[in-house]
Amino acid sequence: MKKINLFKLAVNNLRRKLVRTILLLLVAAVVSGTLLGATIFIFGMQNALKIGTYRLGADILVVPAKNEEQARTALLAGKPTSFYMDRGVLDKIRQVEGVKLVSPQLFIEPSSFTCCYSVDVFLVAIDPATDFTVMPWLEKNVRNSLTGNQVVAGRSMPVMEGATIPFFGTSFKVVGTMAPTGMKFFDQSIFMTMDAAYRMAENSATQSPQPLHLDKSKISAVLVKTDGTLSPERVALRIMHALDDVKAIASDEVVNTVRRQLSGLLTGIVAVSAVLWAMCLFMIGFAFYMIVNERQRELGMLRAMGAKRRHVFRLIMLEAVLITLVGGLLGLALGFGLLFALSDTICNTLQLPYLMPSPLVVQELLAASLVFSVLTGLVSALLPAFLASRLEPYEAIRTGE
Amino acid sequence: MIEARDLCKTYRVEGQAFTVVEGINLVVRKGETVSIVGHSGSGKTTLLSLLGGVTKPDFGQVMLEGIDLWSLGDDRLSELRNRKLGFIYQFSSLIPTLTALDNICLPTAFGTAVDNPADRAIALLEKIGLADKAGFYPCQLSGGQQRRVAIARAFINSPEVILADEPTGDLDEETEREIIDLFREINAESGTTFLIVTHNKEIASLADRRFAMKNGALKEVPF
Ligand SMILES: Nc1ncnc2c1ncn2[C@@H]1O[C@H](COP(=O)(O)OP(=O)(O)OP(=O)(O)O)[C@@H](O)[C@H]1O
Ligand SMILES: [Mg+2]
Repeated sequence: MKKINLFKLAVNNLRRKLVRTILLLLVAAVVSGTLLGATIFIFGMQNALKIGTYRLGADILVVPAKNEEQARTALLAGKPTSFYMDRGVLDKIRQVEGVKLVSPQLFIEPSSFTCCYSVDVFLVAIDPATDFTVMPWLEKNVRNSLTGNQVVAGRSMPVMEGATIPFFGTSFKVVGTMAPTGMKFFDQSIFMTMDAAYRMAENSATQSPQPLHLDKSKISAVLVKTDGTLSPERVALRIMHALDDVKAIASDEVVNTVRRQLSGLLTGIVAVSAVLWAMCLFMIGFAFYMIVNERQRELGMLRAMGAKRRHVFRLIMLEAVLITLVGGLLGLALGFGLLFALSDTICNTLQLPYLMPSPLVVQELLAASLVFSVLTGLVSALLPAFLASRLEPYEAIRTGE
Repeated sequence: MIEARDLCKTYRVEGQAFTVVEGINLVVRKGETVSIVGHSGSGKTTLLSLLGGVTKPDFGQVMLEGIDLWSLGDDRLSELRNRKLGFIYQFSSLIPTLTALDNICLPTAFGTAVDNPADRAIALLEKIGLADKAGFYPCQLSGGQQRRVAIARAFINSPEVILADEPTGDLDEETEREIIDLFREINAESGTTFLIVTHNKEIASLADRRFAMKNGALKEVPF
């Protein structure tokens, strides 16, 4: 038999008004859930921005002018895509003032092989001789360069080093996997050489049910590294001035675009969360005001039998803490579950590389949200609890009758 | 033991003042049983609350063992209420969410007067004839049973003064008898002082002294 104490009294009080308690639990759950959601969002976005600064490994990305939107989607959200421009641009870009390195990439028509893998695969051909963006991501012992039918697989690809995988009827050997980059464009890509890609296309006519057509005179994008004498934006402008029908995107600009897109959303999320929180604070406070009012007689009697002011104060606060603690946990479970389940959808709609921070950060966020939720309960019950503790016992007993 | 000096209490309703307790002087000695009768609305409950330190007099003092209750801070006053005073209310006063046993033990949650509350509570339940109802909630008890549990609760901390407001109001004669016997037993055993507001002639006649309350004043009624 448990000794009677404030805790038991509080729990029993909460159980007595089960419906109200459940409603309050839900309010507390909303507080913690939204808070968690909002912070994870904010973290995810900040990560997206941070990665943006080095996501390309290049200062400028040159793509066909008409495919600019597609290119951004491909880089930011990792949407497999393909578009082409003349290989001739390569030399012209190389001659632009401020350009140090140029390397072409070829994005291979994705629709024809996504069927074979559960994840979207980005098949990209690079020029090993000039590449400066892909190979640095290789996890270990970078072979000087790719040759023959060798490929390098992104982190998320379900293939092991040494495995053989077929594309369009040609077998490729995985000679390396890349370190996780946090970007689908890299993580879900298979990189091969341009030569291998052209050969694969040739062979596909006879060896694959889906023939692939690749024009040797075409490339998809050119990655540019500047020599540092001019800002990437300036060089990008020069490139666009020198060449027709291309869009040169400075990587800073990519980041800025994302930042612009996200900061509005961020302000929105913060504002909505703040309003929601204020409402919850008010609601819990009001509910406890009512609870105190309704229980005046009982509280008066507790005082008459020797409860000190702080006992009454603690009783009310304890009830608030219990509600916000349990409700907070509920909200965290729901909020986290929902975010986890929807994280892919959210990433795709917002064109974020990924949403969930590292497990450690997630743990911290969970703890912080819970603490915040309980604090909300404490703050909102503060005034009602104080008022309750100040009631004159006899007055309270009579008023409650 | 307990003493009222020039006790006054006035209620104000819509600007109008109603003096309910008007200059009451009373000295009750330790172990004495005092009964108070009076018409409804004559201020009996108000007087008991003043004596029990749950409402503050507008004027005058309440002395418990020589200590002026209202000169104490709230904590000390609460402690006194907890250890030395036991209230029995006119109306049902149990906490609906607690069992009979927990209700009886409740005052022990606010002090350290009793070492083993549950044992003492069970002993009290036996005395009031409700040993088999320990785990019952108030709503599962009859009105009279609830009242008896409330009486047991008043005794849990072995108070020195019991302030009882019509303690046998809704009890049948036999139970009433048992309660009166319980009061006498406790009075004899521990010298507990009783102030009992009652309309019951028998209780009134058992008291050492009888008082009648009228128009805010208290008059001793000779036997
Ligand atoms: N808070 C209050 N405000 C105004 N008047 C009050 C208040 N409390 C009590 N009274 C008045 O004080 C008077 C005495 O009330 P009290 O409860 O002490 O009477 P009582 O003698 O116990 O009556 P009963 O026998 O019916 O219980 C009543 O007339 C009541 O209207
Ligand atoms: Mg009364």
